[in-house]
Amino acid sequence: MNADPQAKVGQPVLKVDDLRTHIFLKRGTVQAVDGVSFHVNAGETLGLVGESGSGKSMTSLSILRLIPKPGARTVSGRIEIDGINVLDLDEDTMVRDVRGKLVSMISQDPMTSLNPVFSIGDQVGAAFRFHDLVRGRSAIRDAVVNVLQRVRIPSPERRLDDFPHQYSGGMRQRVVAAMAIACSPKLMIADEPTSNLDVTIQVQIIRLLREIQKETGVGLIFITHDMGVAANICDRVAVMYAGRIVEIGDVETIFDNPSHPYTQGLLDSIPHLGRRRERLYSIPGNPPDMQNPPSGCRFAARCPHVMDRCRSEYPPEATVAPGHMAACWLVGKNE
Amino acid sequence: MILEIDNLVKHFPVGGGFPFGGSKGEVKAVDGVSFGIGAGETFALVGESGCGKTTIAKLILLLEKPTAGRIVFDGTDLTNLNSRQVKEYRRNAQAVFQDPYSSLNPRMKIRDILAEPIRAHQTMGRKDLERRLDEVLEIVGLPERAKRNYPHEFSGGQRQRIAVARALTLNPKFIVLDEPISALDVSIRAQILNLLEDIQKELGLTYLIIAHDLALVEHVSTTVGVMYLGNLVEIGPTAQVFDDPQHPYTQALLAAVPRPDPKHGLSEQLATGEIASALNPPSGCKFHPRCPHVMDVCSQTYPELRRIGESRAAGCHLLEEQSA
Repeated sequence: MNADPQAKVGQPVLKVDDLRTHIFLKRGTVQAVDGVSFHVNAGETLGLVGESGSGKSMTSLSILRLIPKPGARTVSGRIEIDGINVLDLDEDTMVRDVRGKLVSMISQDPMTSLNPVFSIGDQVGAAFRFHDLVRGRSAIRDAVVNVLQRVRIPSPERRLDDFPHQYSGGMRQRVVAAMAIACSPKLMIADEPTSNLDVTIQVQIIRLLREIQKETGVGLIFITHDMGVAANICDRVAVMYAGRIVEIGDVETIFDNPSHPYTQGLLDSIPHLGRRRERLYSIPGNPPDMQNPPSGCRFAARCPHVMDRCRSEYPPEATVAPGHMAACWLVGKNE
Repeated sequence: MILEIDNLVKHFPVGGGFPFGGSKGEVKAVDGVSFGIGAGETFALVGESGCGKTTIAKLILLLEKPTAGRIVFDGTDLTNLNSRQVKEYRRNAQAVFQDPYSSLNPRMKIRDILAEPIRAHQTMGRKDLERRLDEVLEIVGLPERAKRNYPHEFSGGQRQRIAVARALTLNPKFIVLDEPISALDVSIRAQILNLLEDIQKELGLTYLIIAHDLALVEHVSTTVGVMYLGNLVEIGPTAQVFDDPQHPYTQALLAAVPRPDPKHGLSEQLATGEIASALNPPSGCKFHPRCPHVMDVCSQTYPELRRIGESRAAGCHLLEEQSA
């Protein structure tokens, strides 16, 4: 455990620079992640929002170097975690020193991320045994009880020897969170951690993640397609569309003052509790085919403000205000 | 009322197994539910997983037989129909399911998918059939040439349009929508939602929508029924229920919905713990172990639905105290 997590708040724990992860198929190449740059500071939550196929999960798998092989390959870019470029590391080092220890992951479905034939105590204890952080049976048992307490599992010493099927959905996701924080990582990636849960349980898990973050100062990447969840947990939000980040900024800016037409359309098209509207705005058309992405802006075909230039040249990342970037030709024009 | 449900019960036996041994217990999926849906209305059933909302949809579509209770559609009791009457009923009551990737047969062309309900119910000349297919495709905003393609050639949103078109081919009066947009991409959802609203206005349809997304329910429905562990705990006009929820469970559910507005602050956690097992539900009010206002009486007696005003009802002992 770090002596003083507060001392590190604000330092970037992750820097991703021009990341490109492509999937090579017989029929052609899918540019799943195509030039993505962002950073995450200690103690902050960055939301990656976008619809399925926008590249948010591929981005997170690239950071962990867990992209499906063969087929997918990170073709260029830099991923710096705590100052180390993980793209330079070999698989042994990734396993020994990075995954679980420096970066951990909370996935969507706790039923598939837990092994049904091992007890909860065994599985959470594996993190300590593998990274050789705690030695001896009873010491590991104590460490597991401690970490299960931190994720608010009631009377963990009695539930240690239970199996995953004896836990409810929300409790299982707490166990996964316990495994993720066991080795005090610098960065945690949560990929749709609440999408399979009911709303009354979802709010419990969101609150838990925020509390954990306050206690440990861990940097968190929160992947979601639910704008409501993003508004609840994130400090900053990156909106992805067709393999690229189209807009990034702090959460108030993205929700109150979005600059990219895709972000604007997305926010207008979701029903908002307590704000009744006659009709929702609907973004016309469908997301582009990622094997043959359009040249120019990938949102051009669906954009209400499309200009000739949008169809031929991809807009550069334009700064709207400090910390707020949007990749749209309209942004440069307004200056 | 186009559809009336009276004290509907569905229990599923668990364990034991054929041919030896008795059943070990019963899952009380639906445990005495009554409501009515008026013609032209959109009635929404909401609640968390395991509350019985999908079982009710299956009972209404005659995909399951009720343990007890009655379902009356347009004056006909559905519980004792012969096969010809069932067919006649199904012409009027259609369904659109959650996942258009599994609800469309991948080996059939769109023409055959859309023609199948017509072929099952009536004889129609080839030309008339083609005309009808073109009509429904136009209603859902797909080109006529779509008939020649297979489902895999379409995107998720387009597939859901095809599923809607299939439900419309027989000119039904009533459609059950079971989570119609939750499997779709966020930017496509509003398209399908607006389409369903337009169709309803144009054709005068009645909808029963099953959903867990409360913001969606508030947007589309006229009446809402909130379910918890097989019971209806609150029912009434959507605007009234959402503005001033009476049952603590409805309050907890609405407070937990994350708002797409950072200024709103974190969603509130009013209910503790998780939904109990329907195999062994809590005594009295089934919500009492999670309720912030729990009293002694809650674990002893089941609170029947009580009328509130003209068109609302909720089942909670707190409401009895207030009126006493």
